[in-house]
This record gives sequence, C-alpha cells and structure tokens, in this order.
Amino acid sequence: MSLIEFRGVTFVHQNGVTALSDITTSFDKGERVGIVGENGAGKTTLVKHINGLLKPTSGTVTVNGTNTRDVSTAHLARSVGIAFQNPDHQLFSDSVENEITFALRNFGFEESVIKKRLDWALGFFGLEEYRKSSPLVLSGGEKKRLTLASILAWDPEVVVLDEPTVGQDAIQKEKLAEIVRMLHSAGKTIIIVSHDVEFLWTLQPRLVVMKQGRIVGDGPCAKIMHDWPLMESARVTQPQLVQLYDELQRRPEGPFLDVSAARSWIGRRSE
Amino acid sequence: MYWLAGGFLFRRVISPFHRLDPRIKLIVAAEFFALSLAASSIIAISTVLVSILAIAVLARSLRRIGRTMALSLLFAGLIFGLNLVFGLGLLKSLTYALRFLAIISSTSLFFVTTSPDELEQIMKWIRIPRDIVFAFVTAVRFIPVVMLDTFQIMDAQKSRGLELERGNLITRVRNMVPILIPLVVNSVVRSGELAEAMESRGYGSTPHPSSLYRMKLKWYDWTVFFASLLLFAGALYIYHFFHFPF
Repeated sequence: MSLIEFRGVTFVHQNGVTALSDITTSFDKGERVGIVGENGAGKTTLVKHINGLLKPTSGTVTVNGTNTRDVSTAHLARSVGIAFQNPDHQLFSDSVENEITFALRNFGFEESVIKKRLDWALGFFGLEEYRKSSPLVLSGGEKKRLTLASILAWDPEVVVLDEPTVGQDAIQKEKLAEIVRMLHSAGKTIIIVSHDVEFLWTLQPRLVVMKQGRIVGDGPCAKIMHDWPLMESARVTQPQLVQLYDELQRRPEGPFLDVSAARSWIGRRSE
Repeated sequence: MYWLAGGFLFRRVISPFHRLDPRIKLIVAAEFFALSLAASSIIAISTVLVSILAIAVLARSLRRIGRTMALSLLFAGLIFGLNLVFGLGLLKSLTYALRFLAIISSTSLFFVTTSPDELEQIMKWIRIPRDIVFAFVTAVRFIPVVMLDTFQIMDAQKSRGLELERGNLITRVRNMVPILIPLVVNSVVRSGELAEAMESRGYGSTPHPSSLYRMKLKWYDWTVFFASLLLFAGALYIYHFFHFPF
C-alpha cells in the first residue's frame, strides 16, 4: 500500500469551480515527486488534500492508510509538513526561535526535545545568528529558510514544498536542492509544487503534470520533460538542457541516444 | 467566515436593480433604513423586511443577503432576549429584533448590488475629499484580498498543528494571535507598497483628475426614484395615521 493515495478525488470550491477532477494517483514512501502545471491547474489544491486542509468533494485521500476525512489537520500535520509559498503568511512570533518551536509546542514535544530540534534547525538552515531576532526583519531568502526550518523541525514523514524557489537566488536554490537530496536520502517523501523546471530537472523526481484539475502526465522527469506536446499543452516550458538536446537531435550527425550522451558531448565542447 | 462576509461583498450580476444608477440604489436603501427605524409594529417592520427581500430576489442576490441575515440572526436573538428579560414584552422585543434584521438587510442590499467603482462615484458626487474616497474605496476593494490572505494564513498555521476549533473561549481567542499578526503585518506592508505604486503613477499630481465613468440618470432611474419616493411617503403616512393591531 502506498503512503499517500488519491482515489477518484474531485474537489469543487464553494463558488462552484471544479479544482480537481477524478484524480487517482499515489505517492510511495521515500518518493521524490514534482508537480507542474499552469496557474490554476490544481497543484496547490492537490497538496492541500494531503494534510486535510481540504477534504475531497468526492473520492478519498488516505495518508498511511488513514482517510483524511476521519482526522483533523492537526493530526495529519504531525506526519505531513507543508511549507507554503509565501513565508509572510506564517511568520508571526517575536523571535526566530519561537517561530521554529511553534509547531513543536503544538504537537506537545518535551522541552528537552524542543531544544535539540531548535538547535539542529537553526544550525542546518544557517539561522543561528538570528535566533533572537524578529522573523519579520529577515530578508526574503532567510524568511523562506525559516519556514522550512519551522516545518522540518518536527521531522514530518512527508515534506511538501509549495513553490520553494520563488524569490531565491542561485546559491539558495542550490542549497535547497541539497536539502531535498538530503531529506530524500533520509527516507522522507518529498512533494515539490513548482514552476521552476530547471530546479526540478536538477532533482530528477517523478513528475506529475496537471492541467485543468486533471493529471495529464506522470512518469520519470527525463521522460516527461522530453514530451514536448504534453509540456506545451500543460503550458510548462522545458528545461534549457532538454531544449538543447532536442535541438541537437536534429543535427546532421544524427540524434544522441540519451541525455547523458548529450551532456558529455556538451562537456567536451566546453573544454 | 468567507461565506458570511459574502453578504456584504459586491457580485456582478445582470439584474434590473444592478442596472440602476448607484445614487438611486443608495436612496432606495436609505428609504428602507429610515422605514425600519420608523416602524413601531410587527406588521409594519415585517412589511419592510419582506419588501427588502423581494427586491433582493429581483436583484438575484437573495442568497447573499441571506448570508448576512444568517449572522445577524444571532444578534437579533440577543436583542430579542435582552429586551424580553428587561420587561419590554414579547411583541415589542420581537419588533426590535426584526428592526435590526431590516436595517442590516437594507445596508447589505446596497453593498451587494453596488460595485466599488460606483461607491467611488457616489462619494465623489457628494463632494467627499478625494483622498478619503480613495482610502475608503481601496479598503472596500481589498476586503476579498484580505479574506484570501486570512485563509492562506489559517492554512499555514493549521499545517503547523494549530487547532482553531478546540479549547475554551480564551484558548480560541489566544489561538487567533498567529493568524492576526501576519494578517496585520501583511496589510501594513501592502498598504505601503500600494502608496508607493500610486505615487509612482502620479497620484496627487492634479487635485481634480478626470474620470472614465460618468453617472447619468436614465428614464428607468427616474421612474424608480419617483416610485420609491411615493411608496416611502405612503408608508410614513400609514405609519402615522393607521393603527396596527400589533
């Protein structure tokens, strides 16, 4: 049985707009998943079903075998951590350390554990020097790191990142990719909602493509990213490397056999 | 919460009432408001309330106004209960509770059928200073945005284990702190950004800028205006000279 299962999930907003239509998919333990699609495709709506913020209008969502209808968001949040796109929508404490420990206190962790987790999160995300600072005075990148720290501090089994690279510079994106790899190697299930195909390409996750509330593509990143008609119909651009590869396929010497061959060819050329 | 707030939010609908000049809509709402205050019997106030709801049906906004009334029923119940306890009698207490509902419904009728642009036109027409008009209309326009912000903040905090629906009243109030602080901070930041954006686009460079919209009364506006005045005067006459049994 998969860790997260969507069975025939349809979600209709109060205003009558159908955000998800008959979604059936599953995410396994330790899997790395990227969700892409145009604005309004239903990506964020889909992930909000995982911790029960939204309940399906019809169909079922199960996490660890538990139907999300049967338990509260607070219960599901213990195993599903969602870092939302806009850090300003969650930061409220008077200090960075209180912000990080907010969820730990909500979940009833012991004080000794809270202290350990806090020290780990501050160190891991390079926020030690801001321990006593107000979260509101941090820069955009630091706020983003703080939201991640405040989620990962309670060590959820599933980590959902909604547009994690928005407003991040190249160095921060690299760090973020490193964090995702580390979490993956620690056996976490990671779900990333993003428009940033370059970022996803570096992670090579399983890629789910959404369009108008439906899943229109699902498979390995390299395979999906090469499917130009699919990507175009979902209004998702291909990574530059894939575009270059496809261009090179049309060269007179003939196509490359795979992406790695193209990559090494480019490497040789740049030397 | 958003469902309830919808009772005061404008929704673009094609209806005869929406087509009216905003000044006429304001006059009609004000007449109902005045009649609600003047009515002193259950029959009179019930007639006013039913008339408001009939216009809401005509304006295809009954559901929206119903939302306002759903919330107002709590307060109406409180008014009824308090008046009853303090010895005002059943009929009088009921009249006051219905009066409260009628006042809220007449206000809701105006706001649900009048767009922020029309509000701006009315305020300019009655010569309210431009800065005040702008501040008021911007605040009205931002209500849906702030509501959306509220829900996103609630989602973010609930995802971190915050339980808004549990605990006693004090706990619940305390649990609102993680919602209110980001909301206020975001609103202040947004207002600062908006002010900068407005100034960057020349706001305030001329004291009387031209407007894309001009209010012009048409034949049906005049018809509704005179008809409503006639009915208003007739109702006041009946209130004054006719004795209602209860």
